[in-house]
Amino acid sequence: MSAHAQNRIEGQAEDVPFVDSARLRRLAVASRADLEALQLHKLRRQLARLHASSGYYRRRMETGGLDPDALASLADFRAGFPLSSKSDFLTDQTEHPPFGERLGIAREEVALVNMTGGTSGQGQEIYGRSQRDVHMQGYLHALPWFLAGLRPGDIAMNCVPAGGLTTGGWGPGEGLRIAGATAFHVGGTLSTDAKIDLMLRIGEVNFIYASTNYLHTLTEALCRRGLEPKRTFPTLRTLFIAAEGYPLEWAERIETLWGCRLQEGYGSTQCAGFGGSTCADGAITSRGERGLMHLFEWETLFEIIDPTTLEPVKSGETGELVVTNLSIEGSPVIRFRTGDSARFISHRDTGSGRSWNAIECGTIGRFDDMLKIRGNNVWPSAIDAAVFSFGEIGEYAGRVYTSAGGKTEIEVRIAFTEQAAQMDEAARERLFEAIRRTIKERTNVWMTLVACARNELPEFSYKARRWKDERQQGYRL
Amino acid sequence: MRRTQDAADADVRDHLILSRMLADAESLCGTRDELLAGQYRFLRGRIAALLELTMPIGADERSA
Repeated sequence: MSAHAQNRIEGQAEDVPFVDSARLRRLAVASRADLEALQLHKLRRQLARLHASSGYYRRRMETGGLDPDALASLADFRAGFPLSSKSDFLTDQTEHPPFGERLGIAREEVALVNMTGGTSGQGQEIYGRSQRDVHMQGYLHALPWFLAGLRPGDIAMNCVPAGGLTTGGWGPGEGLRIAGATAFHVGGTLSTDAKIDLMLRIGEVNFIYASTNYLHTLTEALCRRGLEPKRTFPTLRTLFIAAEGYPLEWAERIETLWGCRLQEGYGSTQCAGFGGSTCADGAITSRGERGLMHLFEWETLFEIIDPTTLEPVKSGETGELVVTNLSIEGSPVIRFRTGDSARFISHRDTGSGRSWNAIECGTIGRFDDMLKIRGNNVWPSAIDAAVFSFGEIGEYAGRVYTSAGGKTEIEVRIAFTEQAAQMDEAARERLFEAIRRTIKERTNVWMTLVACARNELPEFSYKARRWKDERQQGYRL
Repeated sequence: MRRTQDAADADVRDHLILSRMLADAESLCGTRDELLAGQYRFLRGRIAALLELTMPIGADERSA
């Protein structure tokens, strides 16, 4: 590496947040070769352990002819280790209840049980985490928040429902304790107005963690009460969102309204927390483009593959995220197909100077929630992006159904924000037409728009479920 | 570059301290007091995670 390039990287690594953590600074300046050597070291150790402790993974290694002690490269791992899917895990759990043979630790060592949400309708994966993993899950939440500016002593509002069986219910609590923050776990326990009342009583709030959708709800509620977020909470430094995609226009409005940077993380139960984040760079760049989530590749090995050919996608292309835990010991995932779609950006193209690969902000979607409508592949995230690019929209819900004549119809019920609800009929018609055209541009499908009151649509405290596919019902006798 | 080397040295030092702490925590887990045993296992898990999180980044540091 040239002295100029080294200086450039060293200089960038001085930037917040790396100046506050020598270890993160070292990871920020590590070469790609060093990062991959660390991955390979951890991977060999993980596979050797699982070969001895997990019948599920031992069989997969035998199927691929892979000897963990002789693993020479990450390429050999990708070539020799078969992919796993949700259905593989569910079968394993059914045959070896409750955790399946992939558990990899003694059942007595399980200190925390997590399950996936079950929203796919296929069933819930179950994960048994050790005491060590509980801390790792906390770290994998604290890490992106530290990178985003959270510091010991800060006051943090966790708007994601806490507890229960999900990783997203337990990880944030551990993460905020590890980070040394004073945390209010308000998600799922207080109404939105009660949360606002509490925040007003606290006064000084430095950090808010919420799903994309809930940050929208919170912002909407503040505006409805005539409270301008940036004047009401002037000490807020970071808004951190996860879980769902959003349009750029929405992100810009959020930053303007709150007067602080919007940061984003990509996480999942399979990642045992966050697998990557915007660091301190923001979900939107200074040029007004989508930001990047830089992957924490020393803890999690990521591949982004074409879901059909299973070959790695090129930088700039969208593919399916495949995840391997390098540091989790209870129910680790090894080459697990997440079903999440993401746009891959090679470390060479991120412009960050770091050797970490990245994925694009705001466009994470699911391959399995795709709706097939009149021959078109339509992702709800694309419709979210179209609808919420209009600031007048407070919420929406859609359904695909079969009409009496057997034709596929799509109805989108739209609720305006309080201010926009006052517009006259002609203005409303023009707005509807503009939204309809935008949806058509992004999905190739014309949809029918219907206005409704805001309270006719649900408020989502975590992941939004705005779409219902009722076409099967249309064929019921 | 000097700061990077200092950080590497600190990593190795912290990792060694945590290795010793983990060995001590393992000893504590051998207690016959069942009430303390669960708490010692909790402590051992925390130290084990920190040992993981401070793993030396450079290959030469890991083999040192």
